[in-house]
Amino acid sequence: MSSTTGIRPTKGFLMEMKRRIGFIERGTEFLKLKRDHLAKELTASIEVLKGRRRLLLENLRMAYRAVTAAYISLGPTEVRSQASSIKSRLELEILPRSVMGVRYPFIKVEKEPQIAGELDITLSEAAEKVLAILDEIIQLAEFEARAERIADELGKTNRKVNALENTIIPGYKQIIKFIEDKLDEESLEELVRMKLIGGALARRRE
Amino acid sequence: MSPGLPYVVVKSHALIADLLTPERMRALAEQESLEGFVKQLANTPYGRISIETEGDTSIALEKVFYQKFIERMMAIVDLAPTNIGDFLQSYYYLRFEVVNLKRIIRGKFSGLPTTQIVDSLIPMMPYSAGSYEDLAGTETYEESVRLLDGTPYASLIDSLELCDKYDAIWPVEIALNHLCASVVFKSLERLPKDDRGLVKRIVQAEADVENFLVAAKQRGAREGAHDPEEMFPATYGIGLDKLREAIESEDIRTVIRELDWPYIDILAPLYTGDVALIRSRLRQHICSIARRGRAANDFGFNVIMAYLVFSEIEKDDLVGIGWGITQGIASEDILKYLAIPNFE
Repeated sequence: MSSTTGIRPTKGFLMEMKRRIGFIERGTEFLKLKRDHLAKELTASIEVLKGRRRLLLENLRMAYRAVTAAYISLGPTEVRSQASSIKSRLELEILPRSVMGVRYPFIKVEKEPQIAGELDITLSEAAEKVLAILDEIIQLAEFEARAERIADELGKTNRKVNALENTIIPGYKQIIKFIEDKLDEESLEELVRMKLIGGALARRRE
Repeated sequence: MSPGLPYVVVKSHALIADLLTPERMRALAEQESLEGFVKQLANTPYGRISIETEGDTSIALEKVFYQKFIERMMAIVDLAPTNIGDFLQSYYYLRFEVVNLKRIIRGKFSGLPTTQIVDSLIPMMPYSAGSYEDLAGTETYEESVRLLDGTPYASLIDSLELCDKYDAIWPVEIALNHLCASVVFKSLERLPKDDRGLVKRIVQAEADVENFLVAAKQRGAREGAHDPEEMFPATYGIGLDKLREAIESEDIRTVIRELDWPYIDILAPLYTGDVALIRSRLRQHICSIARRGRAANDFGFNVIMAYLVFSEIEKDDLVGIGWGITQGIASEDILKYLAIPNFE
């Protein structure tokens, strides 16, 4: 079925179509702006993410090495037993934030764990190393979630822009052209008819 | 009835020959899978071991190695003359019980369920603390400590005041360490004078290094630092003045450099912050004390003690290897912290 099936080729409808396509084109422009902004934001985020990840990986490796050393030195049960003596645990609050209408989680550290005096020095060193990178891990997680949401939204916006540019706007343009052609055809027919009538009336007057 | 000291000594010599060599230990640490480790272990005096598949495999392995060590120790205790048997039983059981009591108190302090606390204990019958289930089943850690009234651990109740003051349980843990060392020294009296040196040297080296590590941990805590006299009720080779210096000094290297041998070598990894290496070096030092003790008197108590010391360090190394393999840790990272493969 053609996109012009059931279209009323009237001037009123043509004006309505033109108003709509104007609105859609303006919307498309906004979406393109949003897409460009999101793309810029994503590129910047990825650059930052790469740098932070590299740094964090190095620090994580060091912390992991310290934890491994503590486990091998003290044994798994002793490590668990000592770790359980940490009373104050990490408490987080996850709040929503938004950039260009994209919502992402913002992590607020409510309470940091306090390394207990009871910890053996081996474990305490490992715990301090982990604690030192805790903020980095949280920030990186937040940043990754943000970049992921932005990438999702960028994909959606891009699909919307493509759909508008390649399907909806050409569809509307086709309808407008169809109505305009019909109206032109009708006005031509009207003109011919008027001329014929005018000719007939002139002949009758003669 | 004991077949006599000569029999136990000869048996200990034979058992020492059966212990895992550094090469065998290295081969075990180099296994890439748990199956390979168990298979390799089957070719040793440990034979084929069965591990519970439910839960944490490394913890199940740890229990197996503890049980094997306790079996070895009990086999020697059963054969040894009464005075030596009693001493060994009190030395090892007391040390393990102290570990169990610490785990119970920590568990109660952090509000762990009773079953979880009981599961974390070294698999042994209570020595002189009464029932572990009863201790772990109380409402608070203070109640658990108070339950120890009437046992050799009754003096721990006095440390509750400090626990209350600092809202921490380290005072009980320190009191337990102190109590353990003093009971071991007291029980040494059961042994002939000539046989006491080896155990004394081991206990003192352990206590000195532990004290120094606690002091090193207090560095930087300045205002929050605890009173050294409260923290170190007993000192041996490293005196209270040195420990105080370690807490207050800007550079811990200078303090370590002023210590006597072997501490200067054992504590050197503190320079680089690789603290776990200190324990490995301490274990190697204990191995060398036992080896020297055995060389000095290879037909007496020292041989029995050397066998049990080597055996315990073997157990600690195997626990580390077991954990490392279940976690997929590279063999060089495991080997670095073991005592036997690095012992020359």
